[in-house]
Amino acid sequence: MRKVSIDPITRLEGHGKIEIFLNDEGDVANAYLQIPELRGFEKFCEGRPVEEMPRIVPRICGV
Amino acid sequence: MAKPKVALYWAAACGGCDVAVLDTNEKILDIANIADIVLWPVALDFKYHHIEAMEDKAIDLCLFNGAIRNSEQEKIAKLLRNKSKVMVAFGACACFGGIPALGNLTNRAEIFQRVYVEAQSDDNSNKVLPQTLTKVSEGELELPELFDTVSTLAQVVDVEYFVPGCPPPVDIILKVVDAFAKGQLPPVGSVIGSDKTCCDECDRVKEEKKITKIYRPHEIIPDPKKCLLEQGVICCGPATRGGCGLRCVKANMPCRGCFGPPPKVADQGAALVSAIASIYQGNTEEEIAQMVEEVVDPVGTFYRFALADSMLKRKRMGPTEGERK
Amino acid sequence: MKTARRIPLLKKMLAQLGIEEGRVRLDWVSASEGDRFASIVNEMTEEVKKLGPYGRNGGGKNG
Repeated sequence: MRKVSIDPITRLEGHGKIEIFLNDEGDVANAYLQIPELRGFEKFCEGRPVEEMPRIVPRICGV
Repeated sequence: MAKPKVALYWAAACGGCDVAVLDTNEKILDIANIADIVLWPVALDFKYHHIEAMEDKAIDLCLFNGAIRNSEQEKIAKLLRNKSKVMVAFGACACFGGIPALGNLTNRAEIFQRVYVEAQSDDNSNKVLPQTLTKVSEGELELPELFDTVSTLAQVVDVEYFVPGCPPPVDIILKVVDAFAKGQLPPVGSVIGSDKTCCDECDRVKEEKKITKIYRPHEIIPDPKKCLLEQGVICCGPATRGGCGLRCVKANMPCRGCFGPPPKVADQGAALVSAIASIYQGNTEEEIAQMVEEVVDPVGTFYRFALADSMLKRKRMGPTEGERK
Repeated sequence: MKTARRIPLLKKMLAQLGIEEGRVRLDWVSASEGDRFASIVNEMTEEVKKLGPYGRNGGGKNG
């Protein structure tokens, strides 16, 4: 199937890409949104002092 | 004559550096006047294939923020390096690893386990983990490979300039843009900040650095006029490059080192271990043990923003920790 | 005496970085204590050999 990629998606915070599969008639058979990023805050915040959380987690999103 | 071309890109980032560029307010229009922005995912709709189509060195200036922790980020860093005359590591993440570099205290397997299997909000009973290649009925989908280790931009490509800070202050951003516009960039390899430490530039009253107890920042309300270290609060100022305007200290919070190590300090965390242990007054085994106990998270405090740039770079995982899946 | 304070704090941080206690040792030996120096070095060598090569997962983007 023909695939149209939108990569990267833009004008928002974060990373994403969209893959659109077109059938023989040129209609959309399916579309997939994928997020190609992960930093692991959920894991590396473990073990950090609780009072430091307000200085670490705002770096999840600077917008 | 064609306007110079500028690209901005974000890797393992939060968007704060891009917002900082926008915080230049009306001056952003000056930037747009003097240059053609050819990539800026937060604000403009250019795609990777537009960059791939360019000649090598067609981009005059690339401001690259975010750390490198997956194969796509590494690929785009190399792509932009090929297409750019000048590459700037913009912000603490690109310069030193930043907050994402705390991921070097763990690895991919542990992160996947926590995020996709253990997290209380997960609805993933089949324990599906992200794959680099996924077959669907229509074809194939690809995701980048998450690395175990976070790298700085300079560990992956050659970098001409470093703009530290989380985020870089507006006045430093404008200094860089101005220097670029006038063709007056400093020597290659420069870090755009002060050559002194934050401690040197701090105007709090400093008497004698001698403490007998370390307080966690929430345990006391520090006197806003006196040195934080002298009040027993760990402040990373002595081993942090200046130039930030002491934004945190002015809010009565200790520095956490987002401008990275000062000149001549090879390893920020080691310098801070040395500094804190030096000022602590304690010589008996008990007093020393108490000091060690009072520093609740040495690695996370002394390497808060610069773990990827440190000599050890990452935690050595034990044989049973984070088994590769 | 600064060394006496730096080393324990360093060891705590190194433990967080996965570096075993046995890889760092602080002792006080004078120039006239040749035998003692030799025995300490031998002990340390044995200890480190038991711990195995450092850098089992060291550096690089894939750990």
